[in-house]
Amino acid sequence: MDAFINDLIAYSPQIMAGLKNTVLLMVIMSVTGLIGGVAVFYLTLSRTNAVRTWTERYISFFIGTPLLVHLFLMYYGLPEFGVHLSAFTVCIIGFTLNVSAYNARYLMTAYHGLDKTELEAAQAQGFTHSEIFRLIILPQVMRLSVPSLTNQVIQNLKDTSVAFLIQFPDFFAQVQEIASTNFQFFKAYVTAGLVYLVLVSIIVLVARRLEKRLILPGFQA
Amino acid sequence: MALLEVKNLVKKFDDKDVLKGINLELSEGQSKVVMGGSGCGKSTMLRCLNLLIQPTSGEIIFKGEDITRPGVDVRKLRQDIGFVFQQFALYKHLTVQDNVTLGLRKLKKMSAKDAVEKASYELERVDMFEHRNKYPAQLSGGQKQRVAIVRSLAMDPAVLFLDEPTSALDPQMTREVVTVINKLFMDNITMLCVTHDPFLAKYISDSIVFLDKGVVVAEDIAERLFYDHSDPRVRQFFLSVIDHR
Repeated sequence: MDAFINDLIAYSPQIMAGLKNTVLLMVIMSVTGLIGGVAVFYLTLSRTNAVRTWTERYISFFIGTPLLVHLFLMYYGLPEFGVHLSAFTVCIIGFTLNVSAYNARYLMTAYHGLDKTELEAAQAQGFTHSEIFRLIILPQVMRLSVPSLTNQVIQNLKDTSVAFLIQFPDFFAQVQEIASTNFQFFKAYVTAGLVYLVLVSIIVLVARRLEKRLILPGFQA
Repeated sequence: MALLEVKNLVKKFDDKDVLKGINLELSEGQSKVVMGGSGCGKSTMLRCLNLLIQPTSGEIIFKGEDITRPGVDVRKLRQDIGFVFQQFALYKHLTVQDNVTLGLRKLKKMSAKDAVEKASYELERVDMFEHRNKYPAQLSGGQKQRVAIVRSLAMDPAVLFLDEPTSALDPQMTREVVTVINKLFMDNITMLCVTHDPFLAKYISDSIVFLDKGVVVAEDIAERLFYDHSDPRVRQFFLSVIDHR
């Protein structure tokens, strides 16, 4: 055990750098995925049939296919066409496209639960389609979706661990490297699991606080 | 000249004729109630009049302009027509005060201070000022409907449409809301109200329009229409409605 701890200490700069990359990736994709999710959700409410159809296809494609396939496609597939993207860029694009699809689906589910007479009332008051979206729909569906959206952030954190498969030096990639150096795979992966658990616990804590702050009378998600 | 004039209004949904040539006039300061059996086209007619539903044909002349013609500023038109819904339709994520000020700030471009002042004045008129910081879920049905009425009135519309304003309320709450609408009637607010409720109709109308299968069958004051009308469809309807109360 002592030898393993000594290794952890020796590799701590590397591990911390990996942890920083993991958290950075998770934060970026959570933000871009939320913005993307809202944009995709807006398109699902378009009055143009074609826009709605293509948006639905986008969501189905990204939810229906593994994230790893998207990452591999961009990182290993695109160079065949002369497009070379860094691992970080591929992660940002791939995760954003994927997370946006999931977030849009959560928002759509919440939207289906809205009282549609409110939207008719807003229309009758003279609000435009985009104003109704911004002032009436979005504040309500965001509140109703807080549990799903925060669960997605947890999922995002866990999903960062596949980034090492396209050479991105995340936390898990560093753990993997230590394990392949000292051959203490079990201890290395248990340590990794514990670190992920601590990070997830922090997210859960923040999420529950956020939920409490956003909850309004009549809004039970 | 009438504030609102409806000429031969037709609405078809696929092959189903819901409105088959409605003619109606509403002058400024006048209050009319539209009654009729379920599915006779009352609510559809009301929604056609502010273009929530696009009419199939006919003319709707509002303030001298045919609003069914292309190029009409629908957004501006709707700000001039208040609309109160059966199910209140308050914005659940906003407080009572914010429900009233939202349209004032975003559509009328009032400053936040002026909007709050206007909302406070209007809420006071219906005894809802003390509830201004509550959310819709914390109000009774009658209180919700009073706020919905205020939300529409605060915009200073030329006419107020009410779609079954008491149908979702119990008798006590109905009385609350009838009192408020009766006050508007006394203040000569121009209103067009769709209802099944003869009690409401009697206390808030100058005349009642009776609709049957998408056409106007009769128009008269409440007493004559309720108890002494020559048309058997009208007699039959009011006999059943009034007997059941």
